Amino acid sequence: MCELYCKSDTLALRGKHIGPSCKVFFAADPIKIVRAQRQYMYDEKGEQYLDCINNVAHVGHCHPEVVKAALRQMELLNTNSRFLHDNIVEYAKRLAATLPERLSVCYFTNSGSEANDLALRLARQFRGHQDVITLDHAYHGHLSSLIEISPYKFQKGKDVKKEFVHVAPTPDTYRGEYRECHADPASAYANEVKKIIEEAHKRGRKIAAFIAESMQSCGGQIIPPAGYFQKVAAYVHEAGGVFIADEVQVGFGRVGKHFWSFQMHGEDFVPDIVTMGKPMGNGHPMACVVTTREIAEAFSNSGMEYFNTYGGNPVSCAVGLAVLDVIESEDLQGNAMRVGNYLTELLNKQKAKHTLIGNIRGIGLFIGIDLVTDHEKRTPATAEAQHIIYKMKEKGVLLSADGPHRNVLKIKPPMCFTEEDAKFMVDQLDEILTVLEETVGAQAESVIPANTARRAKVPKGAQVELLDNSTTDPRENPSRKRNGLCADTHSPLSKRLKT
Amino acid sequence: RAGGGPVEWAEWSRLCDGHGPLAVGHCHPLVVQAAHEQNQVLNTNSRYLHDNIVDYAQRLSETLPEELCVFYFLNSGSEANDLALRLARQYTGHQDVVVLDHAYHGHLSSLIDISPYKFRDLDGQKEWVHVAPLPDTYRGLYREDHPSPAAAYASEVERVVRSAQERGRKIAAFFAESLPSVGGQIVPPAGYFSQVAGHIRRAGGLFVADEIQVGFGRVGTHFWAFQLQGQDFVPDIVTMGKSIGNGHPIACVATTQAVAKAFEATGVEYFNTFGGSPVSCAVGLAVLDVLEKEQLQAHATCVGRFLMELLRQQKAKHAIIGDIRGAGLFIGVDLIKDKATRTPATEEADYLVSRLKENHILLSTDGPGRNVLKFKPPMCFSLDNAQYLVAKLDAILTDRSQAITQHT
Repeated sequence: MCELYCKSDTLALRGKHIGPSCKVFFAADPIKIVRAQRQYMYDEKGEQYLDCINNVAHVGHCHPEVVKAALRQMELLNTNSRFLHDNIVEYAKRLAATLPERLSVCYFTNSGSEANDLALRLARQFRGHQDVITLDHAYHGHLSSLIEISPYKFQKGKDVKKEFVHVAPTPDTYRGEYRECHADPASAYANEVKKIIEEAHKRGRKIAAFIAESMQSCGGQIIPPAGYFQKVAAYVHEAGGVFIADEVQVGFGRVGKHFWSFQMHGEDFVPDIVTMGKPMGNGHPMACVVTTREIAEAFSNSGMEYFNTYGGNPVSCAVGLAVLDVIESEDLQGNAMRVGNYLTELLNKQKAKHTLIGNIRGIGLFIGIDLVTDHEKRTPATAEAQHIIYKMKEKGVLLSADGPHRNVLKIKPPMCFTEEDAKFMVDQLDEILTVLEETVGAQAESVIPANTARRAKVPKGAQVELLDNSTTDPRENPSRKRNGLCADTHSPLSKRLKT
Repeated sequence: RAGGGPVEWAEWSRLCDGHGPLAVGHCHPLVVQAAHEQNQVLNTNSRYLHDNIVDYAQRLSETLPEELCVFYFLNSGSEANDLALRLARQYTGHQDVVVLDHAYHGHLSSLIDISPYKFRDLDGQKEWVHVAPLPDTYRGLYREDHPSPAAAYASEVERVVRSAQERGRKIAAFFAESLPSVGGQIVPPAGYFSQVAGHIRRAGGLFVADEIQVGFGRVGTHFWAFQLQGQDFVPDIVTMGKSIGNGHPIACVATTQAVAKAFEATGVEYFNTFGGSPVSCAVGLAVLDVLEKEQLQAHATCVGRFLMELLRQQKAKHAIIGDIRGAGLFIGVDLIKDKATRTPATEEADYLVSRLKENHILLSTDGPGRNVLKFKPPMCFSLDNAQYLVAKLDAILTDRSQAITQHT
């Protein structure tokens, strides 16, 4: 594999020509990936990494069936959806078959962001209402309309919350207002939504939609308590609004037991609009909004055409169909369930062993490891999380840290992830946590506050190490590795990246 | 199916695709190969370093004026225009946007708001949007007989800006398609953009050139349509899409370092899941390679001129043709009911498009009067294709006027 540019030139050119707002993973020591297959990625030196970050390579990087399907169609035809073509209708049919019956009308777009923007337009057109209820720490996309409903973004950018946006508390039973010890957190959190609706009505405002990621990802791998969505949907419907389930990160069998994450909430819960993206095309730019006939008709009654130049093109649909085929033929849903359960089991053992692990939550191959410096207070271990992901990278495992405090290690690998991969990942993590805890003296029985212990033990020089772009490999110097803790929570490293 | 190669590829019908995002021809083998090769190796996101994205950005920068050297990659023209809006607002600290009448910038919520073509029939004009007259020298306020239509239309923009400022509003940007397409294949008069840019920048705003429909050598003499306005004119932001990937979902925003830095200063990351992926960039690079290797820009100039000439002959022959306008392979044929009033011949245009389809020629219409035949074929469109197309057009128009004569 020959590179066009050496890594430092690649980095330099990037600095010159790519918008500086576009960040790289591991900013202190970025990775140049040149090749990937299944759940493994390879850098320019041929070093292998186990990809637990993933993002879009749902059925495995460069899956040959998907690649073949794209090639076949690219050689034949790639035009827009204003011509009749079998691929788009076949794909819509196959997608609809995975969903509850009333979700039967599809709009194809190119990105989750486009899908969520269209979902908003559909919701607003439906009854002419404007307001949107969103969850705290939500992220729905990078478009203007979506920054407005993504507290994860607008709070960071210090944008003023728009008056038509209402933020409900995230139904986080680990760190939120109503926790696992609460008698009925689902009702308690749903009641917050009810209060918001009542407040809005008092001010003469009308609710168009409640939008939520079926499981919050950037918000820290949050799984809403059972019953929450049903109750919220009831309140929202009563107010004349619709329920939008954002499955952009979590759809297509990732949770194992079901195809869509929202299905975990029971057969009696059916959103009015579902948006999907990311894994849909295994990396090919495609996304979709599925809704009811009623909502679709209200949208078309405006008389305005909706045309998306590339959405629903024959190649994208061929790719989408191939991904569905692979999910089925390789029983990836079953795999997600089996490997996900096994991984969760291993992680729970780690939790018993390491005090840094406050909570393990997840389902299927969507798992979060919530790191804390104090079990009672559940103080997010932000710096430790950063340190860990850099150390994991050195050991050939790619992980990212998410959540509003950047302390949740996020595991969302390609669906072909194996039990061996899970064991490998956990073994590396175990080693790193052990070393870390030895270094900071954070024993389970320790009465010394973690911060003090850290400051006492870590030499000042070590703080600089992670920010240094030098090519020294800490693997060659075990003592440096031991001391490589970045305790500076305000460093650029702590501005973690969302996936 | 589609094949964009030599004429002998065409079987039972010749597809003269009059519209669509393609640049270099349907299913171009070099572009397909580039996508396939990269698909087999790696397709991941831009948070990892990769050569394709930086190489592509560098190649694009070589086609643009020096100041426009920072790129953001996305998946659609709509996403690009939305980001352009965000960039302009962040840089200027202002909110308002000046747009041209009948403009269309995309289907996203934010873009419906700045697309009179859409909002007039939907939610209406927002208070932060200001509409200037389309610089249409055939049907607009100032026509071909006006001594300086560019200055006249530009002063309309000045008027709109001043009126907004008097109401305490502040301009973030002027958005315009470099050649308004949906507005009816309009070629703004020379000098218009520079003068508008002057007014907008004095008001603290930025000039956004939407090249989504018209970039990548289509106008023949230049790579970018805004370059038709002269070397002294440089937009602050350029958006590109459609033809950029020959059908693959790619788009891009190019801007200056100053604008990019201001955006970064918000501290909020910009991440586009698929934008700038190795496959998309490999495709983009392949399209640039083909444009160069097959000299499609020169080809567009040559075939475009030939097509315009043939169409002008048709204009002399058929009264229904009011105007022929365009540049390279971006041409509009304005159909009218009456030479004096220039009333759009909407039904006739519709009829013509149906008859052409029966003859296996695909064309569409544009313009507020749905009366402008829009020619924007793949860049490999040949002289033969042009001749064939015009011959059919002629036959249909002749048929039609004979039928009308017989009935009167």
